[in-house]
Amino acid sequence: MNALKGFSAPIVAGVVLFGLWQGVLSLFNPDGFVLPAPSEIVGALIENWDEVYQGARITGFVVVSGLIAGIILGILAALLVTRFRTANETITPLAVAVNAIPIIALAPIFNNWFGLTSPRSNQAIVVALVFFPIFINTARGLTQVDRSQVELMESYAASRSRITREVRIPNAMPFFFTALKLATSLAVIAAIVAEYFGGRQDALGPMITQSAGLTRYDEAWAAVLAGTAIGAVLYFAVLVLERVAMPWHSLIRAHGDDK
Amino acid sequence: MSEVPSTDEAMSAAQGTSSLVIDIRGATKVFNPGKSNQVEALDEIDLSVVSGEFITLIGPSGCGKSTLLRLVASLIPPSTGTVQVNDKPAEQARLDRDYGMAFQTAGLFDWRTVTKNIELPLELMGWSKGDRRRRASEMLELVKLSEFAKHHPNELSGGMQQRVAIARALAFSPSLLLMDEPFGALDEMTREHMQDELLRIWEETETTVVFVTHSIPEAVYLSTRVVVMSPRPGTIASTINVDLGDRSTATRDDPAFFKKVTEVRIALREVEG
Ligand SMILES: Nc1ncnc2c1ncn2[C@@H]1O[C@H](COP(=O)(O)OP(=O)(O)OP(=O)(O)O)[C@@H](O)[C@H]1O
Ligand SMILES: [Mg+2]
Repeated sequence: MNALKGFSAPIVAGVVLFGLWQGVLSLFNPDGFVLPAPSEIVGALIENWDEVYQGARITGFVVVSGLIAGIILGILAALLVTRFRTANETITPLAVAVNAIPIIALAPIFNNWFGLTSPRSNQAIVVALVFFPIFINTARGLTQVDRSQVELMESYAASRSRITREVRIPNAMPFFFTALKLATSLAVIAAIVAEYFGGRQDALGPMITQSAGLTRYDEAWAAVLAGTAIGAVLYFAVLVLERVAMPWHSLIRAHGDDK
Repeated sequence: MSEVPSTDEAMSAAQGTSSLVIDIRGATKVFNPGKSNQVEALDEIDLSVVSGEFITLIGPSGCGKSTLLRLVASLIPPSTGTVQVNDKPAEQARLDRDYGMAFQTAGLFDWRTVTKNIELPLELMGWSKGDRRRRASEMLELVKLSEFAKHHPNELSGGMQQRVAIARALAFSPSLLLMDEPFGALDEMTREHMQDELLRIWEETETTVVFVTHSIPEAVYLSTRVVVMSPRPGTIASTINVDLGDRSTATRDDPAFFKKVTEVRIALREVEG
C-alpha cells in the first residue's frame, strides 16, 4: 500500500533510538530509577496488561468520541459561518481569539461542571480543543477559493449550494486534514492531562499520576506508551482517510517524491 | 488620454438590426468606489456585436479587457450603463446559460479528472452520463489530449491545462463564446492549430465570439473586427474591420494580413503613446 511507503524511514529511526536508549541506560544507569529502559517498560506493560488495556480503552473512548464530536461541530460551524458573510466576518475572528485560551487549563473548571468522576468533562475538553482548529481551518478553506472557479460556476448559473459542493468543499479538504492531523495529537494530550484532574480513575491519566506518585516509573511509562499508541493509530487512520478522500492531492506529492 | 474614439461603420450599421447578440451602452465600471483603492476600470463603453461576428479585444495590460468580458458575462454589474445579451439583460442571459466562457487562468478543478472537468458544464445542464462521456471524448480529441482523459489537472503542463479549459468552454456549443486570452500559455504551433480549430468551430456552429488577446497577428487572423482599447480607464479607442475571407496557413503570409497587422499596431501605438 502506498500509505505505508512513507513509514519505513521513521520506523528505522525509532528502532535505532530505542536501541540507543536501551544501550546507554544499561551502561550508565543500571537501576533505571529516573528513566527506565525500554525493556523494563515493556515488562511493566506485560505485567499490568489488563489495567493498561482497560485504561487505554477508557482514554481512547474519550479521545475518539471527543474528536468525532469536535470534527462534526467544527465542520457544521464552518459551513454555517461561511454561508453568511457577516457571520463569517464577526464570528471567525472571535473564534481565533477564543482559540488562544489554553483550553486544557480549564480542566478543573470543567470537572466542577460535569462532576469530578465523570468522563464527560474530559470529553468536553477534547471537543473544545478539536473544535477550534477544525472550525477555523475549514472555514478558511471554504472561503479561500480560486476566484475564477467560482466565476466559472456562476457563468453556468450554478446554484449557491452547487458551488459549495463543487468548489468550496473540495477546496477546504486539504485545510481540514491539516487541522485534523494537528487536532488528533492535541486530543490525546488533552484527554490524558484532563484525566489528571478528574474523570474515571481507571483511565490512563490517573494511572500515570498514581504510578509516578508511588515511584513506579516503569508502570507510568507503560501507560504513556499506551497513550502514544492511541495517538499513532489515530494519526495513521487520518493519513489513510486523507488519501482516500483526496486522491488528487497525493498526486502532487507523488510528483514531488519522484523528482 | 490621447485620442477620442473614432466611429465605426460596422457598429453603427449593427445598431439598426435586431440580431444584436451583445449591446453595451454607456457602460462604466468603477471598482471600490469612494474607497482609497478605487479603480476606474472602464469608461463609457458602447459596443454592439452582431450574431456571427468574431470580435477581438486588444489593448495594454490593465486596460479593462477582462472586466469588459465579465460585464458581458454578468459576473459583475456595470457601475452605470446597460449590458444586453440576446435582447435581454446580461444577468438573464447568464441564468439562461446563453454563453460559454474560458477564463484567463484555466480555473480547472484539481479534484476532477480532465474528463470530469470538461463534463462539468454538461452535468450542470443535466446531460445524461453517456452523452457527457461522448462529448468529453470528442472535445479531448479536438484539443489533442485524449490520452490524458483520466489524469488530474495538476499532472498537466500550463498549456495543456489551458487546452482542457478551452475544451470545457466549447463542450456545450454555446451560441456566444467569451474567451479571455485562452491561448496565452500555448506554444506557437499549438496556438496556430487551436486558432484554426476555433475558426472551424465558429464557422460550423455559427457562434458569436468575443476574444481577448495580446497578440496582434492572432487578433487579425481570427477576427472580423478588432476592438482597440485605451489604457485605464478603458475606452474603445478604435475598431478595425478585418475581411480576410477563408483563412488558411497561406493567410498568415498574405500581404493583406500584414497590412491589417500594421494597421492594428499603429492604432495600439496611438493609445499607448
Ligand atoms: N475585482 C476587482 N477589484 C478591484 N479592481 C479590479 C478588479 N478586477 C480588475 N480590477 C482593476 O481593473 C483594471 C482592469 O483590469 P482587467 O483585469 O480588466 O485588465 P485587463 O485588460 O484584462 O489586463 P490584462 O491584459 O493584464 O489581463 C485593473 O487596474 C485592475 O486592477
Ligand atoms: Mg485580463
